[in-house]
Amino acid sequence: MILWQLFISFLKIGAFTLGGGIAMIPIMRREVVEKHGWLTDMDFLDGVAAAQSSPGPIAINMSVYVGYRIKGVPGMLVAVLGSVLPSFTSIIIIASLFNRYAQEPLVRKAFHALEPAVVSLIAWPLIQISQKVGLNWRNFWIPLSALIAVAFVGISPMYVIIVCIALTLIISHIKQKRGKN
Amino acid sequence: MLTMFLTFVKVGLFSFGGGYAVLAMLQQEIVVKHGWLTASEFTDIVAISQMTPGPIAINAATFIGFKTHGIWGSVLCTLGVILAPLCLMMILTHTYIKLQQKEWFKNMFKSLRLLSVGLIAAAMVLIGKSAFPDLFSVGVFVVCFLILWRWKVNPIYMLLGVAVFGMVFG
Repeated sequence: MILWQLFISFLKIGAFTLGGGIAMIPIMRREVVEKHGWLTDMDFLDGVAAAQSSPGPIAINMSVYVGYRIKGVPGMLVAVLGSVLPSFTSIIIIASLFNRYAQEPLVRKAFHALEPAVVSLIAWPLIQISQKVGLNWRNFWIPLSALIAVAFVGISPMYVIIVCIALTLIISHIKQKRGKN
Repeated sequence: MLTMFLTFVKVGLFSFGGGYAVLAMLQQEIVVKHGWLTASEFTDIVAISQMTPGPIAINAATFIGFKTHGIWGSVLCTLGVILAPLCLMMILTHTYIKLQQKEWFKNMFKSLRLLSVGLIAAAMVLIGKSAFPDLFSVGVFVVCFLILWRWKVNPIYMLLGVAVFGMVFG
């Protein structure tokens, strides 16, 4: 019974995650904390922090966290399935229409205008996020070298991420050793 | 089809920093390396993803799987892209409280967050390369950016408006 409720809740959450990520946190909180009381507010917030640290979409990571905390592996599978299903179905419908109508002049015209609009949708959060992560003149080289490596040299972001993780681990290891001496 | 599955597993494993930060990696793998979509098809998917529910990486996986191998392709690619996050998040659900207090863990995410700013900028450059064939596109970009900056409108409404505008005046 609780598995069914989990599934329905996450189906609802998945269907309303328009525009992605952080936007669905309040909707999820209402379902999980307020309506069903499956988790306390503190547990929920820990989950949000963990979901942001782990790779992968926040929506999926949160479904894993909540589902697993409530009902173990079956709970996790049910929650993930629920949250993926709405986007999966809508993309399948769009993809089958897209193959048929993509070359229609009217559709081309719409996408011709949509493509630069998408670039503006990436440009705007870029400014907001730069402020939030505490970007300054001393750490500016980190995002700048990532930009150059990925966009202009053509290095895969995967290597950039691996190098970044390795460097930070080495640096914090050295710092810790120095701190002890 | 196996290559496709493995590619999406890889993308899933490295998708730090949220939707926009993943775009550069998706673009490189899907458009540049494997040629599963053209640059403008890829941008179309990003636009579609913004208007439908669900994370962009998953939407792209579902779309590409469907386009190349039909319904089973889309199931497989979608599974691929969520596989690594699912496993890692399960581990993290157990250990996060402990890890959170470790200095190296905090430092790692501080620099990953900075890195994601660079990755988002890279996505903008990569997508921008094919999105501006004429002056009309530049105009749409400038107006959309100003609208977002000044009124912080919901992206969905803006994109719907842009689509209609494109049909009428494009």
